[in-house]
Amino acid sequence: MKRLLIGVLALVAMMGVARAETLRILMETVPDTEQVKSLLSEFKAATGYDVEIEAISYIDMHTKLVPQLIAPTGAYDIIIVDFYWVAEFTKAGWLLPLDEFAQRDGVDLGRYVPKVMATTGQVDGVTYMLPFYNYVMGLVYRKDLLEDPAEQAAFKEKYGIELGVPKTWDEFKKQMEFFTRDTDGDGQNDFFGTVTQAQRGDCIMMQSSNFLYGNGGRYYDENWNPLLNTPEAVQGLADFADATLKYSAPGSEGFCFDEATAVMTQGKAYSIITFNNLYATINNPETSAAGGKVGITGVPGGGLMGSWGWGIPKSSPNKDGAWAFINWVESFDIAKRRAIMGNAMTQTALFTDVDVVAARPEAPSLEPLVAEANAFPVFTYTVEFVEAVGREFNLAASGQKDPKEAAEAAQEAFADLLRKDGLIE
Amino acid sequence: MGGAVRWRGLLAHGVAALFCAAILLPLLWLVRVALTDKLTAYKLPPEWVTPRLHNFVEIFTDYPFLTYFINSVVVAAGSTAVALPLAAMMAYAFARYDTGGLPLRLFVLSSQMLPPVILVLPLFALFLWAQLLNTWFALIIAHLTISLPFLSWLLVAFFQGDVRLLEQAARIDGATRFQAFLKVTLPVTAPGLLSAGLLAFILSWNEFLFVLILSGPQTNTLPVGLSAFQTQRGVELALLSAATLVAIAPVFVLLPFMRRYLIKGLSLGALK
Repeated sequence: MKRLLIGVLALVAMMGVARAETLRILMETVPDTEQVKSLLSEFKAATGYDVEIEAISYIDMHTKLVPQLIAPTGAYDIIIVDFYWVAEFTKAGWLLPLDEFAQRDGVDLGRYVPKVMATTGQVDGVTYMLPFYNYVMGLVYRKDLLEDPAEQAAFKEKYGIELGVPKTWDEFKKQMEFFTRDTDGDGQNDFFGTVTQAQRGDCIMMQSSNFLYGNGGRYYDENWNPLLNTPEAVQGLADFADATLKYSAPGSEGFCFDEATAVMTQGKAYSIITFNNLYATINNPETSAAGGKVGITGVPGGGLMGSWGWGIPKSSPNKDGAWAFINWVESFDIAKRRAIMGNAMTQTALFTDVDVVAARPEAPSLEPLVAEANAFPVFTYTVEFVEAVGREFNLAASGQKDPKEAAEAAQEAFADLLRKDGLIE
Repeated sequence: MGGAVRWRGLLAHGVAALFCAAILLPLLWLVRVALTDKLTAYKLPPEWVTPRLHNFVEIFTDYPFLTYFINSVVVAAGSTAVALPLAAMMAYAFARYDTGGLPLRLFVLSSQMLPPVILVLPLFALFLWAQLLNTWFALIIAHLTISLPFLSWLLVAFFQGDVRLLEQAARIDGATRFQAFLKVTLPVTAPGLLSAGLLAFILSWNEFLFVLILSGPQTNTLPVGLSAFQTQRGVELALLSAATLVAIAPVFVLLPFMRRYLIKGLSLGALK
């Protein structure tokens, strides 16, 4: 019996040691995760740590994370944090400040694109995360159509301006209208100027933000006063409603990223405002009828900023090991190799690195997208904001409510949440 | 007259065909997408290409679907094996002795009325404390919180039926209460028990939230594995369809048994 007890204790001790040598990370099922996985053997060789990555879908991540973050000691040493969750996680005190680690190891935090660092890096001057990848929204367009002389001539004749990569919002609006057409003569449009995703919640909020910025609107001012009923914001919503009802595929009122991307990859639309990291999917001939025919540029007025960051939860069982991993995975060499594999970069120098550009010629054109992107409201009630405002925007985009009325209702809902959070009186 | 009957028959068959189509067409669509490639998967109207099995190969080579499958089998079979005898005893006690009266029965049912997320957080804390997170044991216990109340309520009806008369006859013939339960009640209610067991298996097989919160890479089951195909960069539709077909395959294997025993279970009664 005594021997059995000693044996069990020894086994438990061994399990404890084995656990300490393995770092666990919760990540999302995206190519960026696969890129990290492919390099893990090098981290093991350099540090002796095994790394176990658990990849799940985005919609399940928050549900799975929160119990782990509340626990005194959770199962994950490292987590990745979407910008949506930054205010919630930092306000709740779930993330470990990383400044001491960074100073100790001489990590230059200035290497990141400032707007990305402001989104998923620092909060009130404290570094809680190192940016992992961005998902700034850009304008993906059919360059074969822009280069077609017949299209160029027809566009010039109709609008009196040259057809080219749109530099202004007004130019883009004209292009949406121009390319929406009935190609088979059955009286129904079957090729569309753009594809919108107007499903309530996250889907509509992400994409319609670009229409707000395109018209010069903003969500809030420097004092957090909401600006959703300004003339620019109302025009942005009206443009989004027009795009959904007139220039996008039928059913766009219920589309999210997947359905919208599918219209583009089936070669049935001229353009889509979407995450820049979807460009590779749309431009891949193996997965897209538009493969090899598209280009990407910034949304006139600046696209929506989105990014993920590496963080260490306070409940991490091995904080030193966690930092060793983050420091390694974000080191320039590893970040560069991930960038060559297709990672949506966050470090400024990578966009123009010779090796990265050789592998990804579009890299330099992505830098201004990221540098000029606009922030989404990130506060304690971001999730509620997305639901409440997204509902109003959807009503406008589906023609059930006048854009002005919807904008007023959205303004009121936003103001209520800001008051609840103590950001305005 | 004959014509009217024939028309009525045709109409009935037409309605039945419509219902069958509503159920079968999504499944046929799933088969089509599972056998196609990523580009064709989304095409509308659908394009027919030479069927390929590469999606089925990919889910087992590039994703740990075999692990998910084994985990699902172990957890569903384990929780059913524990739940069924316990639920049978509980239901028998309710049916014969009215143990705890209506309040206890309602109390047992009340756990089914709670949103699952209310149950999963305390379970998470308990398993964290006991260092049982990411184990089959934790998932089996967690699934018992769903299947045990459900099965015990389901089985009460079986024990309250005509089997009571058979049991009394056995007692008159000299059987003890336990002998009567073992040799008369259980065999007579076996179809009901089996159909309840099959339902418990399917409940556990499809359960998502508890597995999401309480499991890890080694113990994830099929529903969590399936959800991973829904990524922020789009749904991997072709792979998801192939994986879904694999996930529902056991239900098709169990279906013939289930149909036979469900019918027997529902028409239970030895005294005709």
